[in-house]
Amino acid sequence: MEQRSTLRSPISLTDADLERRKILVGLTAEDIGRLVTLRELVTQEGDRYTEEFFRHLANLGEAPTLFGRRDVLEEAKHRKRAHLTAMAVAEFDRTYVEQRIALALLYSQYGLDTRAFLGAFDHLLQALGDDIMKRFARNADDAFRKFMSLKKVAFFDIGIITDVLMSERERVIGQQQEAIRELSTPVLQVRDGLLILPIIGTIDSQRAKQLTDGLLRAIRANRARMVVMDITGVAAVDSKVANHLIQTIAAARLMGSTVIITGLSAEVAQALVALGVDLGKITTTGDLQGGLEEAERMLGYQVVRSNETTAHRSL
Amino acid sequence: MAIPILKQGDILIASLQAAPTDQDLVQLKDDLAERIGRLRSRGVVIDVSALDVMDSFATRTLRGIAHATKLRGANTVIVGIQPDVAFAMVRLGLSLDGIATALDLEEGFAWLQPPPIAEAPRGS
Repeated sequence: MEQRSTLRSPISLTDADLERRKILVGLTAEDIGRLVTLRELVTQEGDRYTEEFFRHLANLGEAPTLFGRRDVLEEAKHRKRAHLTAMAVAEFDRTYVEQRIALALLYSQYGLDTRAFLGAFDHLLQALGDDIMKRFARNADDAFRKFMSLKKVAFFDIGIITDVLMSERERVIGQQQEAIRELSTPVLQVRDGLLILPIIGTIDSQRAKQLTDGLLRAIRANRARMVVMDITGVAAVDSKVANHLIQTIAAARLMGSTVIITGLSAEVAQALVALGVDLGKITTTGDLQGGLEEAERMLGYQVVRSNETTAHRSL
Repeated sequence: MAIPILKQGDILIASLQAAPTDQDLVQLKDDLAERIGRLRSRGVVIDVSALDVMDSFATRTLRGIAHATKLRGANTVIVGIQPDVAFAMVRLGLSLDGIATALDLEEGFAWLQPPPIAEAPRGS
């Protein structure tokens, strides 16, 4: 049982959260009393409801990956069946919620869409609701109340499952962003002691930090004395980003390296002036070519064509 | 522990060890001022590569040393500031404006050679 605490839990699970979730759907002791009376029905018909749920999905052609894997499908059915039983046992504690999360993770892993899940779950509830109305037809009012109690639990579950599905999706997006970030700030050496740092896309604070980190490390690793930072690909620079760039440049200088900024577009230049960012101490040139030429000049390089004939041939 | 000062030709080298006390730094300032006069040194290299933190006192003292040595006729270059230290200093608003910095001892020596190789505007 201790093992459960190590379960990867994408949503927070304190006792207070559990209580809060119950309050949100209005689940009370009265409801639990009614749910317990459904136990017999669920035990008898649970398999059929489970089939209803998955048949609905299969008919709609949803989650083909889930149906493509017999073992996984069996596992999902088994857990769904256990879910129905647990609903009628009506102990909505931590274990119950963790089982919901585990099932939701299974859905998410095999690509079950939130909408499709909601549709199938509603389908299951309809089947269950029909049976409740039939079985307790003597007292329609009571039957309806039982069904409403069941619906509260259903919404309680939906709350958990959609939270998990959403947080899983956010996690995937986060991973992708991380991958893009890692690829997005290369530091390249063009000559001995000369690095270029092309920046493309938007700079947020995390990326700015990574950029600074990468640059300062590259300066040390490559023994760079000049760095040309090209921001042609940066659409917008706000005061925060500008300040970060200035700090990066100051840090690079402390390490004995001079930074030239190139490719400030007209819009960016005007925006910086309007923001009152002081770029006075920073060397800037119009384009990357100008920046490289300036850096080479400062490093004492002289680039000359070998001779006229070679130049002609190469053209 | 006093910071050792080495002599290499007409250049003095001071290598700071991890976590020097304020006292050590003040002592270094006095020692350097005295040695430059006695040894007729032309340049000073202060190596801080062993430091993993630079506080405002250290920065101010190093700035003081650089200005004082200049008045005594020697150029000072501070070498070996680590990436993390550099960025932390900038974040804390500590600057070494007007003072030469270089990547490491070798680059620092190169900067002190007359005439300075290349024309990179260090410490401008």
